[in-house]
Amino acid sequence: MSSKISGRVSPQPCPHLLDFCSRNGSKPFRALQDCIRVKPPGGRAAIRREPFEVPRCGTCDESSRPRLYACVACAAVFCHAPPIHSHASAHALSVPGHEIAVDVDRAELFCCACRDQVYDRDFDAAVVLAQTITSTTSTSGSTVTQCKATGSQPDNLRKRRRVDYSLWDPNSRENAIIENHSIPLHDATNGSLISSTELPWGLRGLNNLGNTCFMNSVLQALLHTPPLRNYFLSDRHNRYYCQQKNGATRNGSKNSRFCLACDMDAMFSAVFSGDRTPYSPAKFLHSWWQHAANLASYEQQDAHEFFISMLDGIHEKVAKEKRKTHSPGTGDCCIAHRVFSGILRSDVMCMACGFTSTTYDPCLDISLDLEPSQGVSGKSSLAKSNNSCNVEADCTGSSQNCGISTLKGCLERFTRAEKLGSDQKFFCQKCQVRQESLKQMSIRKLPLVSCFHIKRFEHSSIRRMSRKVDRYLQFPFSLDMAPYLSSSILRSRFGNRIFPFDGDEQDACNEVSSEFELFAVVTHTGKLDAGHYVTYLRLSNHWYKCDDAWITRVNESIVLAAQGYMMFYVQKMLYYKASEKQAASWCDVRK
Amino acid sequence: MSHSHKLVIKRSSMSRPPPPPPPTTNKDQQHQNPSFQEINIKLIQSGEKERLKELLRERLLECGWIDEMKALCRAFTRKKGRNNVTVDDLVHVISPKGRASVPNSVKAELLQRIRAFLASTAD
Repeated sequence: MSSKISGRVSPQPCPHLLDFCSRNGSKPFRALQDCIRVKPPGGRAAIRREPFEVPRCGTCDESSRPRLYACVACAAVFCHAPPIHSHASAHALSVPGHEIAVDVDRAELFCCACRDQVYDRDFDAAVVLAQTITSTTSTSGSTVTQCKATGSQPDNLRKRRRVDYSLWDPNSRENAIIENHSIPLHDATNGSLISSTELPWGLRGLNNLGNTCFMNSVLQALLHTPPLRNYFLSDRHNRYYCQQKNGATRNGSKNSRFCLACDMDAMFSAVFSGDRTPYSPAKFLHSWWQHAANLASYEQQDAHEFFISMLDGIHEKVAKEKRKTHSPGTGDCCIAHRVFSGILRSDVMCMACGFTSTTYDPCLDISLDLEPSQGVSGKSSLAKSNNSCNVEADCTGSSQNCGISTLKGCLERFTRAEKLGSDQKFFCQKCQVRQESLKQMSIRKLPLVSCFHIKRFEHSSIRRMSRKVDRYLQFPFSLDMAPYLSSSILRSRFGNRIFPFDGDEQDACNEVSSEFELFAVVTHTGKLDAGHYVTYLRLSNHWYKCDDAWITRVNESIVLAAQGYMMFYVQKMLYYKASEKQAASWCDVRK
Repeated sequence: MSHSHKLVIKRSSMSRPPPPPPPTTNKDQQHQNPSFQEINIKLIQSGEKERLKELLRERLLECGWIDEMKALCRAFTRKKGRNNVTVDDLVHVISPKGRASVPNSVKAELLQRIRAFLASTAD
């Protein structure tokens, strides 16, 4: 019934629209272009022949009907308020070829015969262009000629030369080399050997070296981050080779001897060796102290701060060696960015003239506020109507109604258009003065692994105190990030249009899915200054609690009830479902 | 979808506005209270109607009304089947529920704004 364009389903035109287009081409739609008015600045598009025209129904002279349609063929305006009044339908029935009309207030096409909304690519492109021009024209007079919705492509996402994938079949000599120089991992095909008491491959406790649970918890998550694990286990960073190289260059700099990537490599080898005795990441800690001198102490640290710091440490060392320029967006610089780096898009729109300024920034994770949902008191009037409506409202979608904080709710809040306060006026290039603005965040490029950091620790320099937010946050096992992508956010701004938005074609070409699977949760219990970090790992369909040196298998209900501080999600296609000998199903309905 | 202009500046109850009076070109009308049509035109021409619509959208978004309507549409579409639902069907189904569930505070605020506007532009 509908075709896929740019990976999105577009509705097929109705027979009347098809007929209209075949007879008139796109001339009438282009003529409508001159009638598109965008008010208020950066706002909705309407159809008006004159800027301050008051549309009236040609038959009954009413201007106050909720829906007024202008016939695309003859420009006559009619009202449409079924079932009582519909002079638009009367017109369509009486004059053949005049079925297609446009909603004068919404600039949306409508077929009066089918009584349903219809879509045309050329028309939608014209509307989006009109709305875009008001938001990107600067005083210098340059206008946007390309039909792309706001903002130019970030440099590091321009079309990269693609290399065709070719299968590699090792010959017997290559096979021999591999076998002689590697230690076989646990044979996954012999699933029957895995008893329910035996822990899966790669699970090993980490000794607490003195308030280092903040480090242990993050390390456990990273040791089981699929792309990171694969990188180190396939010897992509060889610690012997790396140290040899560093030993050779006598730069005299002490720091050149410390390499967090080498220590990670050593840790991966140790943890996946099959030895189950707890491992002490002393060398790693020492190396990290060299990198983050200000955090070097035996005091408890923030796990998230550690996470960012160590990724930065890996980047510094590896990127310098590779002599790659800092291009965190593509992740070409180092494995840390390759795995965790995404791109955030920020749109700031001047509320006076509609001019929108767009910036792209790389990010290693997304920090989310955990505020109690706003407007809870305003819901009381809706609660009554809820009962009379007799419809199951999508509770996870409108999470505010339920009163539970959810990860999806946090993401929705993160990507919501936010009015910047009058004390945060943004300098508008078009107005050349500070104006009140509307800011909206969205995700331009998803990383391979998304880390969500919940801001549970509040440090207020004004009130000179810090506190921890213990509020429970519900998080799903499977997460679809599509609604938070730039293409989706932009699309919702322009209404119902079939138009490729920023990121649409990119995603379609790469066939990057927006579906993610949870694989690790770092939790914090206790008070701000006296607390404990624990990580829950999801391996082979089971959950394991990693509490420093102690690893135990736990029920998923324990995980769901835990106080999530950092949640790690990996792109579904990278999430290898190891052995599924247990009957538990993957489809987790709990979202 | 219901719009704010359905509110009538009369002493009738806010929850059931009477239908608008039929348009008339009688010149005597100008000396009496402005008709519904005249108010509407004044609002449109001054641009106030657009501003009121934006305010209304913001309020309805804040209180969850829009999410509520979306949920109703989704539920209805799921029941009928995606290809068996038209825009008119949806408007018909959710309009009464939508009108009934607009919070009184929102109605009051919009009404106040309209009154203030009319007072400030009185001849």
